[in-house]
Amino acid sequence: MGHDVAAQVRGYMFVFGALLVLTLVTVGVSYLRLPETPAVIIGLSIALTKAALVAMYFMHLKGEKPAVYWPLGLTAFLFVGLLVSVLLAEGDHLFGTQFGDAFTR
Amino acid sequence: MEIPYTTEVRPDTGLTNPKLGIWLFLASEVMLFGSLFSSYALLRSGAPTWPVQHEVLSVPLAALNTVVLIASSVTMVMAWASLAPHTAAVRAGDREAEAHSLKRYRLFMGLTLLGGAIFLVVKSIEYSEKFSHHLYPATNNFLGLYFTLTGLHALHVIVGMIVNGFLWGPGARMWRSQPERFANRIEVAGIYWHFVDVVWIFLFPVLYLL
Repeated sequence: MGHDVAAQVRGYMFVFGALLVLTLVTVGVSYLRLPETPAVIIGLSIALTKAALVAMYFMHLKGEKPAVYWPLGLTAFLFVGLLVSVLLAEGDHLFGTQFGDAFTR
Repeated sequence: MEIPYTTEVRPDTGLTNPKLGIWLFLASEVMLFGSLFSSYALLRSGAPTWPVQHEVLSVPLAALNTVVLIASSVTMVMAWASLAPHTAAVRAGDREAEAHSLKRYRLFMGLTLLGGAIFLVVKSIEYSEKFSHHLYPATNNFLGLYFTLTGLHALHVIVGMIVNGFLWGPGARMWRSQPERFANRIEVAGIYWHFVDVVWIFLFPVLYLL
């Protein structure tokens, strides 16, 4: 048991280091003043990676029971659905989608 | 009446009740913050012009707060790791193990509370700087979203500090009477605290960097 915890604590320190490095990278990249699309993709990818590290190791989600995964999976699905539906409402100028006059008559 | 399944695993869920409970609560929190994040996406993508966020807000202060909150997550998980391996010894009446682990736990939980306090101080410096430049939630959509999202997040930090403060102080008496249950409480309080960290991990790039 004692040995397990020592290994676990080393793991926490490794995650801590990774989170600090990723924070540095995301701030550094922001000073490059990239165009909006790559900046958003890189910024959110780094944030997702950091969030995944915190969730898997600090929140002990790695190796958690299915009764936790199922509600969280459903939540993730609803969360993405919420964002996508909102963005589709702006789809005409975000993605250039055009319905022409299909819905006007 | 005793609360069921605080320490033993419930056969049908495979979890203790507090573990399942905190995750269901956090699922609802994801949707609460999700509604605000999607409002941000809608208002920003629909806006003809948008302020240059890093010129309005202070990136160095927010980066400092990111590091502070991540560090407080590490000390929180260390607070739990100070207790979890010693529950059996404490239950068996090993007073030395009990005192030693409690001291270590209090140190790490104290550091977690300090991290939360530093975060709030930095946040209030940021807020007062905005107010001194006459930048308010009503100034524009971006600032409205900024104050709403960071305000709700700060409220979560405050709530977490109240819970953690109780567990650092009077709540820690449970370590002697019911060590497994107390260690579970720290784990569950930790899962909430890490969630608050995760929300900030997204708020930082979305509001300051992008």
